[in-house]
Amino acid sequence: MTKTYKLLFVGEPGAGKTTCVAAVSDIPPLTTDVGCTDELADLKETTTVALDYGELDLGPQGRLLLYGLPGQARFRYMFDVVREGLLGIVVLVDATCERAATNLRETLQTYAGELRSTPCVLALNKHPDPPASLQQQCQALLTEHGLVAPVISVDARKREDVVRIFELLFLLLEHGTDGPQDDEEIAWL
Amino acid sequence: MALKAPDRARCTQALDDLLRRCDSISVAMLALRDGRPYVERPAAKVAPGKFAAMASSLVALGHSVLRELGAGTLDHVLVDGSEGKLVVSSVPGSNGLLILALLARHDARLGLVLGHAKSCANAISATFADERAPA
Ligand SMILES: Nc1nc2c(ncn2[C@@H]2O[C@H](COP(=O)(O)OP(=O)(O)OP(=O)(O)O)[C@@H](O)[C@H]2O)c(=O)[nH]1
Ligand SMILES: [Mg+2]
Repeated sequence: MTKTYKLLFVGEPGAGKTTCVAAVSDIPPLTTDVGCTDELADLKETTTVALDYGELDLGPQGRLLLYGLPGQARFRYMFDVVREGLLGIVVLVDATCERAATNLRETLQTYAGELRSTPCVLALNKHPDPPASLQQQCQALLTEHGLVAPVISVDARKREDVVRIFELLFLLLEHGTDGPQDDEEIAWL
Repeated sequence: MALKAPDRARCTQALDDLLRRCDSISVAMLALRDGRPYVERPAAKVAPGKFAAMASSLVALGHSVLRELGAGTLDHVLVDGSEGKLVVSSVPGSNGLLILALLARHDARLGLVLGHAKSCANAISATFADERAPA
């Protein structure tokens, strides 16, 4: 039987979770987007209200099941719907947004408990070369929330970047993330 | 496309009328499609923001599942529990803007709850007044 790995994307509205799942999925993605009725409409037309779902074939390694959650904290309960058997969580950040750090803080506050108990990666999205200051801010926010996670830069619309995230989470799962030394080593990949 | 704005006072009135007519319905909520509370009568056990979010998720999942299965359009979502029934539907004529969620006692007759839900939704769709976004 094909081995499957469940990957979950969280992050602020507009971070690119739905775009990512739709772009890299091998099957037509399941989407639950509706028209925005608040200020978010200035940024984009639709927002996710239940989940995104897609699948990515990893070849002999198996299949990656991709889940995206809504970005707003009011949908936090959806985490309980998808939490079973997660390989890891990807915290997606729109690195081009000037509120990136504030948005990340909100996401971390919402999911701190879950992120502490599951391997996670913080992925700076939408920016080809995120400024070092943002990377440092992200690391500081992770530390502030008692979290250890690598901070990487991705184009979440690219399949190879999502596969890279998978491989990284797999490594974290195999070798753990406990201890400040590991933290130092994987702080910036 | 401009959103037609419902009249909040008349929406509240429609929910109150519903609760008066059907005593097996304990909570009636109108939520915006992206999961924000609009009117709730009376307060449910959960925070209104969470209830509205859950109602919008259910409707969106209902639409998606029917679309995937080629099973037509959504009329309502029923969540039938040992201690209560939840019926969630889109309000017709609101351009998908409003969602009606009704929590009824577990022994409530489903046909009755659905009938009341339909007439309440119709009453609300009649309240859409002009082209303003909801306040
Ligand atoms: N420039 C740029 N834009 C992107 C990129 N990825 C996504 N976008 C755009 O950014 C927006 C992201 O929107 P979504 O994918 O809906 O974001 P989301 O994280 O699912 O948001 P919610 O469902 O509201 O929580 C869309 O308008 C995309 O077109 C990227 O790599 N670069
Ligand atoms: Mg989304």
